[in-house]
Amino acid sequence: MGVTTSALALVKEVAIAAHAPRFLYLRWPFGHALGEPGNIAQQRAVLHDMLSMATSAPRPGLVVDLPYKWRREKYPSVIDWGTPGDAVVSQLSLLSPQDRGEKS
Amino acid sequence: MDTSSKKTGATSRSAATTTSSRGPARTHIGWLKELWVRFLSNTEFGAAVGHFASRAIALPQLRRLAVGAIPWTPLRKPLSECTVVLVSTGGVHLRSDRPFNLNSDSSFRVIPNDAQAEDLAISHQAYDRTDALKDINLVFPIERLRELAAEHVIGRLAANHYGFGLMGSAKRLMPSLKEVARRISESGVDLALLVPA
Repeated sequence: MGVTTSALALVKEVAIAAHAPRFLYLRWPFGHALGEPGNIAQQRAVLHDMLSMATSAPRPGLVVDLPYKWRREKYPSVIDWGTPGDAVVSQLSLLSPQDRGEKS
Repeated sequence: MDTSSKKTGATSRSAATTTSSRGPARTHIGWLKELWVRFLSNTEFGAAVGHFASRAIALPQLRRLAVGAIPWTPLRKPLSECTVVLVSTGGVHLRSDRPFNLNSDSSFRVIPNDAQAEDLAISHQAYDRTDALKDINLVFPIERLRELAAEHVIGRLAANHYGFGLMGSAKRLMPSLKEVARRISESGVDLALLVPA
């Protein structure tokens, strides 16, 4: 029985070459895939993005490029965990209709 | 840090574990390697070197192995009913368990869902684990996920989670990967979250 997967990546080319179902790429240092120590809002934001990718990625093999700058970003509290996060939604909206799996 | 949560009514607990006097254990890697990982993780040039090495090691293998159709399993349930498993390649394991071989290790470790930060250890020599030792969630977000389960954002954490160490050869990792995949798919897990070192 298959299991839905959602993965974080810190090296973009490797994520693309891995051809995994769902990847979220962060421009953050090694050892910091979820962010800064003690920054709970940041860690929850990343988890929200992973969960958003799990619920709303339209097809396999996508690598969403998260825009968060290292140590220079503020993370608002996640209000609605049922709604996909803004970063994931805006990245997915950049796909062509074909990429989204819709008929063009 | 999360002061707006009171206004939105979110029920997240404020962090307490980063002030625990006994956080995860640091496996000794030697002062020279500590300098090296600090360079890799904390400087721009080091990050470029680390990215280069990561690509050099991984891309040729992936070109050979990551072929064919990409597996695809959409979520069959709402998140609030899902069982979630965490898989890490950051060298995380139970303190009581055998450490990963720092140079390369193709084995995996099992971490139960009630493991506290002080029950864990990190044995890895290719990233600066100083921050992860202060806050294990950076490489193994088990505390954050426990909170999300308590808030009913996700259904529950799987009973067991999986950690891997540093391993350059995908081929030698395959038996462990297949075993972990088998255990996960046979345990009724809906969603697997993968976190790199």
